This record gives sequence, structure tokens and C-alpha cells, in this order.
Amino acid sequence: MESQSNNLFRFNASMLRLPKSAKLRAFGVYLSGALFAIGFWSLIDSAIYSKSINASDVHVTFIDWIPFLCSSFGMLIVNSIEKSNLISNSNNTDPFSSGNLNHAWAARIILFLGFSLLAGGLAGSFMVFILKYLMKHYTFPTLGMGVSNIVCNGCIMFSCIVLWLSQNIEDEYSYSLAL
Amino acid sequence: MNPLNKIIFLSAFLASGFLLILLSCALFNNYKPLWVIFIFLIAPLPNLIANSIENARDYNFLTFNDYNNQSNSQFNQSPLQEFCKFLTGLLIISGISLPLTFYHCGLIQFGSMLMSIIGGLIVYGDIIIFIWFFSNEEEENDEFNF
Repeated sequence: MESQSNNLFRFNASMLRLPKSAKLRAFGVYLSGALFAIGFWSLIDSAIYSKSINASDVHVTFIDWIPFLCSSFGMLIVNSIEKSNLISNSNNTDPFSSGNLNHAWAARIILFLGFSLLAGGLAGSFMVFILKYLMKHYTFPTLGMGVSNIVCNGCIMFSCIVLWLSQNIEDEYSYSLAL
Repeated sequence: MNPLNKIIFLSAFLASGFLLILLSCALFNNYKPLWVIFIFLIAPLPNLIANSIENARDYNFLTFNDYNNQSNSQFNQSPLQEFCKFLTGLLIISGISLPLTFYHCGLIQFGSMLMSIIGGLIVYGDIIIFIWFFSNEEEENDEFNF
């Protein structure tokens, strides 16, 4: 019951029955950092490629970086929100948390902003890929620069998901302290 | 195994890692992979800095946030420590993917890429093993250090 009221979504980490362990949590944090680095370096790779051995006249410009900036900014917002702000419900009669209702709404709006920035980053990478590369019928070595843009934003979104899930892994020790 | 042997073996491994990276630069007369050393040297730093900050801070006094108590230092991690773990993962993959990127863009040769990646991983693993060896020893002596 506690887990149902504590989480934002209908499907959450506790329904997936993730094992409660601190090591898994640490591994998730490392993994999300690794995924973020893969995304970042795929974009850097396309930029260096466009500068060094690019045979075509298409180059990576600032346009290609905008989706990356959007999604990394969204990831920063989503994962720096304190999760306990989202808990307080409208039917909560606890005197300590009823004053927090405005706070919870602000947290939800900022979280929504973060998620839409993330989704906008991924959609923007697809848009750049289609408008800049696919519509002009480029062949594959040039097309790879657009593909790496999609890979970059997909990896950042995946990294954000992993980080969110691993933050939701609560270990039993801290739970008993909270009680 | 006494500490002196540990130090000698670890320093030999560290030297071989540096040797591999330097060879990957010098054999091909192309000093771009030298950045790998820099990345792998700063990769263990975020965790060290965060742990020392959290150990120095007395959370338990008023806030009851029991971050990094001696008994459960594995379980409660402060946001700073988690961010530094994120940074560690990012730096390790950066160190691997920098030579890969260079190779893909034709800036370095294949052998250079292979040697710099292996050398960088040796350097990083060596630092981690060094910290791990000597943190285990300190815990035994630190029984009465509050």
C-alpha cells in the first residue's frame, strides 16, 4: 500500500520487484553514467568525423547539438528533483504535509518540464535526422552522422531511465530509519 | 603479503600501463592518445573526494540523515556521492571511447587504439586496487577512531 501511494506512476520499480540492495543501486548509477558517456561520445564522434574525413559537403553544425543539449538538460532536471516532494497527495490529512501541496505541484510541473525536454530531445534528434539527412537522399557514410545523433539522444534517455530506477531502489535499512 | 610487495607489484603494473599508452603514441608518432592517461588519472578522483567530504561532515548531529555511518556506509549514499559515481562511470567510458573515436575518424591507427585502451584500463584498475588494498588495512586499525 505504501509503495502504491508513494510513486508517481502506476508502473513503478516496486511493482517490477527490483531486488533491494545497495550494490545494485550503485551499479545502476555507474551504468547510467556509462550510458551518458556513450551518448556524448557518439555525438563527439560524429562531429570529429564531419571535420576530419568527411567526403560530403554536409557538416555537423550547432543544429545537431540542440537535441543533445535539450535532453541532457532534461535529465539534469528530472534527476535532481527530490522524490519525496512528489509524495504528498491531496487526500493526505497529515498536518505536516498539507502545507506542502504547493511544493508538490511545483515539483510536478518542473518534473513535467524535465520529461518533456527529454522527449523533445529524442524527437528533435529524429527531426534533424529526417530533415537534414534523410530528405536529401544522402548515402550511408553521411547518414551515419544523423544516426549517431539518434543514438546519442536514445542513450541519454536510457541513462535517465536507469538513474531514475536506481534511485527508486530503496534499501530496507534506510526504510526502517525513516519509520 | 606485506605492504612493500604490494606497492612494488602495483607500481610495476602502473608503469606498464603508462608504457603501453606512451608506446601507442610514440610508435606511430601521433600524440593524440596521450589524453587517455589524463582521463583515467582523474577517473578515481570524484569518488575519493565525495567520500572524504561525507566522512568529514557530521550529518548525524541534527538532521538525522544517516549518510555514511561506519556501520552502513554501503547503504546510505548522499546525493553528492551518487553524482560522483555517475561521474566515475562517465569518465571510464570516456577514456575507452576517446581512442575509439579517434580510430573511427582515422586520426590514429588500430594498434595505437588497442594499446591506449588496454594501458588506460591497467592504470585505472591499478589505482582502484591500490585504494582497495590500503582502505582494507586502515579499517583494522581504525577501531577506536570516532
